[in-house]
Amino acid sequence: MKHLRALVTLIAVVAMTVLLPGCGEPPRGIVLWHPYRGGEEAALKKGVLRFEAERGLKVTVLAVPYEAYLAKLEAAIPRGNGPDVFIGPHNRLGEYLLHRLVAPVGDAFPDADAPRYEPVTVAAITYEGERWAVPLASKCGALYYNPRLLPEAPRTLDDLAAKRDFALGPGIWPLAYESHTAYWHSALLHAYGGELFGAPASTEGGAGAPPGFAMTGEAAERSLDKARELVATRVVPDEASGDLVKTLFTTGKAASVISGPWLAGDLEDKVPYEVVPLPSIPGVGAMRPFLTVDGVFMTPEGAKSEGARALARSLGDAASAAERAEIGKQVVATRSYWSAQDGGGDAAALSPEAKRQRALLVAFHEASADAIPMPVSPAMNPVWVPAEQAIRKVLRGDASPRDALAEAKARYDDVMRTPPREAVSPAPLVVVVGLALLAAAFAVVRRVRAPGFRRELAASKPAYKYVLHAAITILVLVVLPLVAGAAMSFFAGTREEARFVGLGNYVEILTARGKPLLSHGSFYLTLLVTVAWTVVNVALHVSIGLVLGIALARPVLRLRAIYRVLLIIPWAVPSYVTALAWKGMFHRQFGAINAILVALGAEPISWFAKFSTAFAANVSTNVWLGFPFMMVVVMGALTSISKDVLEAAEVDGATRWQAFRLVTLPLLRPTLLPAVVLGSVWTFNMFNVVFLVSGGEPDGTTDILVSEAYRWAFARNAQLGYAAAYAVIIFGLLALMSKVLGRIGGGDAKEAI
Amino acid sequence: MSEAIHAASRTATNDGTSASVESSDTSLPEVPRAMRCAARGIKKAFGATPILRGVDLEIPEGTFAVLVGPSGCGKSTLLRLVAGLEEADEGAITLADRDVTHLPPRDRDVAMVFQSYALYPHLTVRDNLAFGLKLRGTSTAEIDERIEEASAMLGLAKLLDRLPKQLSGGQRQRVAMGRAIVRRPTIFLFDEPLSNLDAALRAEVRVEIRRLHDRLGATTLYVTHDQVEAMTLADSLWVLNGGLVEQKGPPLEIYERPRTKFVATFLGSPQMNLLSGRLVKEGGLVFAEGGGVRSRVDDERFRSELDDGREVTIGVRPHDMFLAKGDAPKIAELKVEIVEALGSEAFAHGWLTSSGPTVIARLDAADARTVKPGSVIPLGAAPTSIHLFDAATDRALA
Repeated sequence: MKHLRALVTLIAVVAMTVLLPGCGEPPRGIVLWHPYRGGEEAALKKGVLRFEAERGLKVTVLAVPYEAYLAKLEAAIPRGNGPDVFIGPHNRLGEYLLHRLVAPVGDAFPDADAPRYEPVTVAAITYEGERWAVPLASKCGALYYNPRLLPEAPRTLDDLAAKRDFALGPGIWPLAYESHTAYWHSALLHAYGGELFGAPASTEGGAGAPPGFAMTGEAAERSLDKARELVATRVVPDEASGDLVKTLFTTGKAASVISGPWLAGDLEDKVPYEVVPLPSIPGVGAMRPFLTVDGVFMTPEGAKSEGARALARSLGDAASAAERAEIGKQVVATRSYWSAQDGGGDAAALSPEAKRQRALLVAFHEASADAIPMPVSPAMNPVWVPAEQAIRKVLRGDASPRDALAEAKARYDDVMRTPPREAVSPAPLVVVVGLALLAAAFAVVRRVRAPGFRRELAASKPAYKYVLHAAITILVLVVLPLVAGAAMSFFAGTREEARFVGLGNYVEILTARGKPLLSHGSFYLTLLVTVAWTVVNVALHVSIGLVLGIALARPVLRLRAIYRVLLIIPWAVPSYVTALAWKGMFHRQFGAINAILVALGAEPISWFAKFSTAFAANVSTNVWLGFPFMMVVVMGALTSISKDVLEAAEVDGATRWQAFRLVTLPLLRPTLLPAVVLGSVWTFNMFNVVFLVSGGEPDGTTDILVSEAYRWAFARNAQLGYAAAYAVIIFGLLALMSKVLGRIGGGDAKEAI
Repeated sequence: MSEAIHAASRTATNDGTSASVESSDTSLPEVPRAMRCAARGIKKAFGATPILRGVDLEIPEGTFAVLVGPSGCGKSTLLRLVAGLEEADEGAITLADRDVTHLPPRDRDVAMVFQSYALYPHLTVRDNLAFGLKLRGTSTAEIDERIEEASAMLGLAKLLDRLPKQLSGGQRQRVAMGRAIVRRPTIFLFDEPLSNLDAALRAEVRVEIRRLHDRLGATTLYVTHDQVEAMTLADSLWVLNGGLVEQKGPPLEIYERPRTKFVATFLGSPQMNLLSGRLVKEGGLVFAEGGGVRSRVDDERFRSELDDGREVTIGVRPHDMFLAKGDAPKIAELKVEIVEALGSEAFAHGWLTSSGPTVIARLDAADARTVKPGSVIPLGAAPTSIHLFDAATDRALA
């Protein structure tokens, strides 16, 4: 009784702590959320203060970290404790709409205000004829160049191409940008009049519907030819990551780079630079980057408040814009600021630093005029992923632009295929689930009927009390998610509009979606790769682990303790750190492995261009990660083998190898076997390495089942049901594998020691 | 252990009474044909610690040789050198007239029974027995025959399909022996094979080992620290101490004529009583005096070295001391501290003098009832049972 009262009190206290702040809050006026920091935040606050003074309204400004921004909005707005207005990037609009977080801005952006803003920003925040935000500022790519290397601002790509083959100095690239990404390639694509995103393939799903795949046709092919030419003629390095681009520029190894305004913050004074709009392609047109616009959005609740609308409108006015530009250093969307600059403004009075700052803004503003606003759809991955695969493939020279794009389109179509029909009758599912339940029931009955079951049950009653909490924990943390995941596999479509399809997902997976069974991306091909991956890895883990374990167990080796620690280190480092390090080492132009190959006089290898080399790269990384475990297991198992037994074998006439094969190995087996089962399961599911090192390159051929499942869930239009079906199949395969491996181990070996 | 003792023991072994040939540090004479196993001038050190400091060993065909000594004396190392599990720093080893000094164990044709039995835990008894034969490519029929023979000899027939962990200690011991027997090796090597057994089983298996040896006529080298095993099993006993052979020969001979104080105390239970004293010549007779003892010495035995006044250690085995009754000559008086009655006999512990060491004397079972702690009893001993050791070198007088 006492316990009960204590429990009730505890619950009440907890509940009050959680609920009270919500109830007891005083009226807070208009609430504004923003993800800004530093100067951007200061500029915003200044504008808000002025608004408060003018209108006599109270505004609460809350900075929310960008990483959690969307999640917090999603959580807070439907419950009514969210903001009235919030600032966010326009390309999230699709998501905002999907979760009903926003309403049209109404008189915060009357038609009369349209001339007030840059047309491109107005276009960005307009969707289906409605204006959904007051545009504040925009971000897009521009060309940074190093005036020491390029005294003249490069205006065309040809200006840069003229410096090819390291004409500027050894190892100095004329231009660096993330050429293999769809985001940056789009600047080229747009120059040729192409498009990445098209109209949604289907109209259902509204703002959540994925855009169409528009990167086809002559424009797209020509853009790829151009990109390939830039890489092949050594104007641009291949596969440069964002970090590499930055490093090349700051170290003077790239005369110019294409990047966004964020790069300026990182450059500081490390290297002199100027910014100009992206170069144009002679005879074709200007490169046009993607544009993202920060805007003030209204929540459905906020849209009803006149004060909130007035606040949103005032944030777009000339005074606020000037503050954002001067203090926040943003490329503001309000035109009045820029027309003042054109007139020369008060430039004479400015410090050189401020002048420079202003020149930077002007350059980005100029660049934004030609930029293409990002689409607002939340589901862009079905387009991004195949487009990037096509771009990489062409850049590597593995396929012509036409073939690569046709393949990408096919892949897009595959992902966007009509989901399985709604199950006409749930009969097959009922049969399968029914059979499973029947088998389980049969097992239970057999157990209960077994002699002595009741007696045992009664005798172990206290034991059940002790394991109860653990059982509940396991039920909640393991069993329920498993069941939920399995249940999800009977549905198709995205999270928002899931439809029950029975075993439809399984049928699609197991029939390879109607294509040949071993066709690209089919379940069977992936399974084959996964099995090869597991076998090769585990075999290498065990053999290297055995050799090193035995070598380290021998007392003759000096500095044994040091070797042991050194060899265990790969295991101690988090696997994604290792995976990223290896990814870097396999880079074609800047990786350590190719550097060694070149130093030895071999040709550098494009590791991720071919299945065999990409697979080998993955395997080396995973072997590096995995052998220490087997080594430690072997070392432990060796200490349990008596020295006498090995000497007995020696006296009995065994050579070293025979003693190892006939005595050591069989005695290691009982310990090694569970380790092999565990290792196989880990390797079978080794997502980190495959995802981070090869990322499935080339063309998703090195993907294993888990990374494939991941892609279905997160990179292909959120087909969670389909991914869940993959997961259930993986689970079944692993359960089967453990069972089989356990049986191979045999009973008697386990008892031998 | 002082250098003097080693020097003494070296002399003792070199002019020993056994049938072996003489050897010295400088020359390595030919090993006679009849030797199944012989080692010459073996030296072995582990790091800076010398374990064997120049050991010679000869085991004639069919002999049961036992190496005995305290722990650390090098006896197991010597066995492992013969097996080939260690390599000697110096010296040579021959097996059946073959120089095996640098051969690995598999090429020596030896079989070894380990203290831990060292059975292969993953193999059945049958496979354990067959292991060595299979490696040597013996035919299946031959293997079966030998296993059958050995298992009949050792009573293993019903255990052939069991795993080692399903056997008792004694059974494992027998399997280990069986594994050696089926091999029919040049020499059997036993490394303290009985020390993991309980006392009753030990006595039983001890007899069994001797019986097997007699039956097979096999040459055997057996290592133990247990003097009972050493005494009962050996044809030829080798007492090792500090990495050197202290004395060798038939066990009874060593028991009766220990050549050093160490050998005298190591063999025999309870230990030989030792008292410091000196020799006194009186009227043509020689007496040993000291520590409360005054006894005539058998001058037939110690002809040469009985100088008057020589400092000696007097040794008398407890079994050679008795309660002096009637007019039997008395050599000492024992102040009894305790009496251990074992039924068939008894041992009285006590002192001869107030400052002397504890002395043990054997009593007849009947006397054990009358001798009480605290009483003083007269002790007698035959002059022939008095051992004399040089006080400086600890070497027996000869």
